[in-house]
Amino acid sequence: MFGSESGYNAHAVRLGILTALTGVVCFAADYTPAAVEAGKAQFLDACAACHGTNGEGGFGPSLVDGREVRRADDEQLFKSIQQGVSGADMPPFSFPDEQIWNLVGFVRSLSAPAVESNVDGDAAAGEALFFGAGGCVGCHRIRGRGGLLGPDLSVIGSSRRIDQILEALLDPNARITAGFAAATLDGNVRAVVKNHTNFSAQVLDSSGRLHLLRGDELERLRFEGESWMPRDVATRLEDHLVRDLVAFLSRQAAR
Amino acid sequence: MRLLLCALVLSAAAIGQIDEAAILEGAGDDWLTYSGDYASLRHSSLDQINRENVGSLVTKWVYHVPGARRLETTPLVYDGVMYLTNTNELHALDAGTGRRIWTYVAEAPRRAQNRGAALWGDAVFFLAADCHLVKLDRLTGALIWTREFASYEEGYYTSLAPLIVKGQVLVGTAGGGTGQRGFVAALSTDTGEELWRFWTVPAEGEPGSETWGGFPSKWGGAPTWTTGSYDPELNLIYWPTGNPWPDFYGGRRRGDNLYSNSVLALDADTGEMKWYFQFTPHDTHDWDANEQLVLVDREYNGEMRKLMLHADRNGFYYLLDRETGEYLQATRFVERLDWATGIDESGRPIEVPGLEPTPAGVKVCPSVRGATNWMSPSINPEIGLLYVVTLEMCDIYTGSAKEPVPSSGFRGGGSQQIPSEPGQFYLRALDSLSGEIRWEYKMTGPATMWAGTVSTAGGLVFTGDDDGALVALDARTGEALWHFSMGNTLYASPMTFTADGKQYVTIATANDVFTFGLFSD
Repeated sequence: MFGSESGYNAHAVRLGILTALTGVVCFAADYTPAAVEAGKAQFLDACAACHGTNGEGGFGPSLVDGREVRRADDEQLFKSIQQGVSGADMPPFSFPDEQIWNLVGFVRSLSAPAVESNVDGDAAAGEALFFGAGGCVGCHRIRGRGGLLGPDLSVIGSSRRIDQILEALLDPNARITAGFAAATLDGNVRAVVKNHTNFSAQVLDSSGRLHLLRGDELERLRFEGESWMPRDVATRLEDHLVRDLVAFLSRQAAR
Repeated sequence: MRLLLCALVLSAAAIGQIDEAAILEGAGDDWLTYSGDYASLRHSSLDQINRENVGSLVTKWVYHVPGARRLETTPLVYDGVMYLTNTNELHALDAGTGRRIWTYVAEAPRRAQNRGAALWGDAVFFLAADCHLVKLDRLTGALIWTREFASYEEGYYTSLAPLIVKGQVLVGTAGGGTGQRGFVAALSTDTGEELWRFWTVPAEGEPGSETWGGFPSKWGGAPTWTTGSYDPELNLIYWPTGNPWPDFYGGRRRGDNLYSNSVLALDADTGEMKWYFQFTPHDTHDWDANEQLVLVDREYNGEMRKLMLHADRNGFYYLLDRETGEYLQATRFVERLDWATGIDESGRPIEVPGLEPTPAGVKVCPSVRGATNWMSPSINPEIGLLYVVTLEMCDIYTGSAKEPVPSSGFRGGGSQQIPSEPGQFYLRALDSLSGEIRWEYKMTGPATMWAGTVSTAGGLVFTGDDDGALVALDARTGEALWHFSMGNTLYASPMTFTADGKQYVTIATANDVFTFGLFSD
């Protein structure tokens, strides 16, 4: 089973191989790999306690989803590190300028969008796979074309890193996108839960009906504990097809 | 069982399509367009909440918009789902609970605020600040396409809620304060293709260009930063325009500066201008005419007329014939108005000389924020009163004859407040025909808010006030019947709708959206 420990490890290894095969460039264009590596080491020493070792946040905000980081230019990031962030718990850091620039380079790499990476695959073949035999379009949508039970991928290339796309393909339940937890409605209708509390739920079914459930209505809902994303992509698709698919998806960028 | 039925009804209706007929039904269970309907009445047929029970309104839910600093949105509601905007963001909520269904964030510069979205078919549209029209799937928030309609790099940006008419998304721009030439454009709801465009400053040689004294049309301003109105019978779109550029110095643009500070009547199919009316010719006080255009059919001097009502930033309340553009009358609706002694028979202000901004500064009333502004008025058609948020205030205006530099931030001068004369907000109920003030509600506060109103068939008018409260007033008398302090400055106008069969009232504060309902529900 995919969810078993051995299965997970196998796919994690494959993820690593594919990452290498696709020639991923996960650092910002303006910084050398050495600078980014140096920044990473320093990040682990000084920043990980709040922002998490992978930058996904904890006590401090996530630096991975890109919005905060991409809105700031390099000088603003530099200043945030050097002077801290007023009104927040981010303290000033008195590192030499060069080390702060290395940190800026690493922080940029955390949200480096896939579209900026050099993906070694056939995007046209990936597109054919996405809209054809791969069956992706049954759940996912790009520019208005596709299904409802998976996240819209119209701008996936500008909103996710390349390794995040790979992980979603090969290990889909490692993290489930908010609003796409799988559920079954009334025992037989496939749906995703957009949001829920103990008092209400907002549920979209596969036919495009939105169910705004209240109180006892929640009993109509059974959570599946994972997403609807097939767990066998890694075994079903050969490596070159995964590369093609990633090449296509990484080109789906805003505007 | 009641809850079950509600849920089933909602789910069945959610696949419906929004079209012109639905919008023409006006504000009731749903609120489908920025001003509630095409006529910009902002009057809802809902009466579950009324004068008798409004005292028992309580907060039902609050939705926080992370990172928001100045929400100006009027939410839309269709079939129990609320759509509200922040800069470059659109949020879809369960309108009965305030729980988020989806959020879409456009990667665009955070230049301007955003006042709302537009619904059509199975899509929802809104404008990113950098002049991109965004079309999203209404149920999922999935992106369908984006279309750029003006260049952010050239200084354009946008903040308004689009208006959808006959399958066309009507858009406008801000940027007049830095000279960018305004326009109204119609983009296809299907493809985003631009179908027509009307420039608010005539090109050199075109009719109206002679009113600019040789000033280049490219930098005339006259932006289109608020949402227009539409009359399907006349097939006319009405769109208001803003000030000419430079805002505070008119020496290089001698003439009336058409079509700044005007209302334009445009053919809904072609964008061809049928008529225009200019409220403030040759404006040098930044008195944009972008306030809402309210369309009613009323008997006027013994004859049924298709009227346009407009309370202008310049302090006068106008009645126009919206079929022909004929000026009918104007009355002042603020005390602090000294730039004109009245409006002549042709509709032209009788200006007081010597009140153009000077390098040393000159006191003029109203203030630069205007006697009113884009905060939405509303009308109760049964009572015949128009509810207008009004600011009594003057400013010191300064002007600069320096060579204007487009896109530099140069505005030819500016204005400053007079510390000893702080502004005073009122909600005023104008007799919609005579312009007479029938009642007024004096607000407390620092004169910093921008909130508007909504009228309901429950005999109520709701207004945001200058102290951060939503207030319910008796629509006939102005008596304050209920209020709730939200503890934050208001920049948005309230609206009302039903979800799960119950009426709610919603208003955005600077960073939260508050929704109120009856305690018994």
